[in-house]
Amino acid sequence: MRITGLRTRIIAGFAAGALALSASMALISYQVTRSNLLAGRERSTIRAATFDARVITAGLNTDHPDIVGMLQTLDTGGNRRALVHRDGNWYARGADPGAIAVPAELQRLVTAGEQAIQRVRIDGVPAVVVGLPLTPTTALYEIDYLRELDQTLRVLGWVLTLVAAAVAAAGAGLGWYATRYVLRPLRSVADAAQGITAGDLTARLDPATDPDLERLTTSFNEMVEQLARRIERDRRFAADVSHELRSPLQTLAASASVLHRRRDQLDDRTATAAGLVVDEIGRFQSLVDDLLELSRGDQPVQLAPTDMAALAHRVVEARGLPPAIVVCADALRWTVDRRRIEQVLVNLLDNAVTHGGGPVAVRVTEEGRCGVIEVDDEGPGVNPADRTVIFDRFVRGRSAGARGRDDGTGLGLSLVAQHVGVHRGKVRVLDRPGGGARFRVELPDVR
Amino acid sequence: MPGVLVIEDDDRIRLSLVLALEDEGYAVRGAASAEEGLVAQREEPADTVLVDLMLPGADGFECIRQLRREDDVPIVVVSARDDTHDIVAALEAGADDYLVKPVAVKELSARLRALRRRGRTLLAPVSTMAFGDLEILPEAGEVRLRGEPVALTRTEFRLLCELAEHPGLVLSRQQLLQRVWEYEIGDERLVDVHVGRLRQKIEDDSRAPRYLVTVRGMGYKLQK
Repeated sequence: MRITGLRTRIIAGFAAGALALSASMALISYQVTRSNLLAGRERSTIRAATFDARVITAGLNTDHPDIVGMLQTLDTGGNRRALVHRDGNWYARGADPGAIAVPAELQRLVTAGEQAIQRVRIDGVPAVVVGLPLTPTTALYEIDYLRELDQTLRVLGWVLTLVAAAVAAAGAGLGWYATRYVLRPLRSVADAAQGITAGDLTARLDPATDPDLERLTTSFNEMVEQLARRIERDRRFAADVSHELRSPLQTLAASASVLHRRRDQLDDRTATAAGLVVDEIGRFQSLVDDLLELSRGDQPVQLAPTDMAALAHRVVEARGLPPAIVVCADALRWTVDRRRIEQVLVNLLDNAVTHGGGPVAVRVTEEGRCGVIEVDDEGPGVNPADRTVIFDRFVRGRSAGARGRDDGTGLGLSLVAQHVGVHRGKVRVLDRPGGGARFRVELPDVR
Repeated sequence: MPGVLVIEDDDRIRLSLVLALEDEGYAVRGAASAEEGLVAQREEPADTVLVDLMLPGADGFECIRQLRREDDVPIVVVSARDDTHDIVAALEAGADDYLVKPVAVKELSARLRALRRRGRTLLAPVSTMAFGDLEILPEAGEVRLRGEPVALTRTEFRLLCELAEHPGLVLSRQQLLQRVWEYEIGDERLVDVHVGRLRQKIEDDSRAPRYLVTVRGMGYKLQK
């Protein structure tokens, strides 16, 4: 399961907290308001019923009391209905006595001589029923419909719900704002770290932002400072080593060329020895070049659009190989580090020449967004057990006799692996159909 | 016999280069410091100057700038430093080519030959080529901006002519390296830095070039 981000969690927390708080506040205020309103309404209903009861009691004292007539004289307004229960009969102002609306429980209490009140729901409308005993056989019931009150409470309920929702949203907004503010230094740390990874060692955090973050800022900046110093020291060392090795090599190379030019004037022994010196200086030179290249492996890639067909043809021709071995569409334009990819191709070709009897095909193709370079040779192929170790440093081909003529440095394929690695690609050795080895380089996202 | 001046403080390297280049048919003189080299060049100008970057006293960069101030002699840096920073700085100071030690003598000789050829007129000379206010006279070896002559080094001149021969056509950095520097595979920074220097001389605003424009991912072209 994917873990939700810190920011999402904080925002959700703020929203949930705000919602819980505002919902409980809303619920409490709703309940208090409701019970206050209902109690007030019940009191006024009882008051009105008591008044009506007095009127009816006075009317009952006549010989032929006209109960319906008396009920009609009562000022009940639109919300109240008065009913009289006398000797088992119901009397009301209109035709329908509506006695069903009076709960049996309430009737029992009133018949027992007690004043009673009950909340009911009649045809979906909430109401209060008040029962008052007038004489042992007569009782007045008044039904007070609470339509307006119910509507008021409903509106109140909606308003409170909306307020609760708004407060929750505001809580989420506050959380968003707070996390943005709180996470800003984290983001600047991330940005700076990203810059450093990309090779910008001057990236620092602004120390003046917040006293609470001072420790983070200073220790981060110190760390970067140290890292930059170490990288600079390594770079200086590599540059010094490079300089110290290259200078005497220059003397050797120039002097060797003087010897080489005069080899005909030397006796056989001296000429052979001079030849060895000249050859070995060449090899030593390639070794130094390759070692320095390997030591610079952490330098950032310089991506640029590159015409692959032109590059492949140039490399093949510069190596004196037949141009026909290149298989490459004309319009291939990859975004790669040109210098590194050129060296990948050069080293794979050199490897094919040294160990595979010369390359027979160089294919540059695309598979989706992935760039593929394949170099085929017709040599003995690579033993499956050796297919990973050949990319290690100083590993040379094992085939008998190859070692004696080997003028490679043993670093060519590890440089290939390194260059492909900085492009986040892969290099593998496969069997070529029909015999020989196929070196396959895959570079992701070259388009 | 073409003359070469080798400015190199390491006695052994200087001596070996003198011997090897003499074998290649050059009249070679050596100088152990920038000051010595500048005096030697003033007294008897060589056709090409090789300069090391790490020199006692005035360093190689200063030496290149001094030489450049006096004339357009082709300058080749031969240095053990292969830092991008050093290469670009040396080229910006006015060097025509940059070689990292150790250089094979054959390679060095090929570079010197390419530099000498650069001074000659083009294969198919055209009398005058005009790009707006910019006039190029290949036979006279002259470039004029609004009638005023512009002082270009031979490399800059050759680079401009190569681009001018294909007006409006994009030439890739590798094509320019092959045509101007005669490299099979070379360092594209050579082209970029020289284009930059050329722009400073022929453009009113080298940051917003009007004639010599970059075509991203392709190369450069000269437009009217």
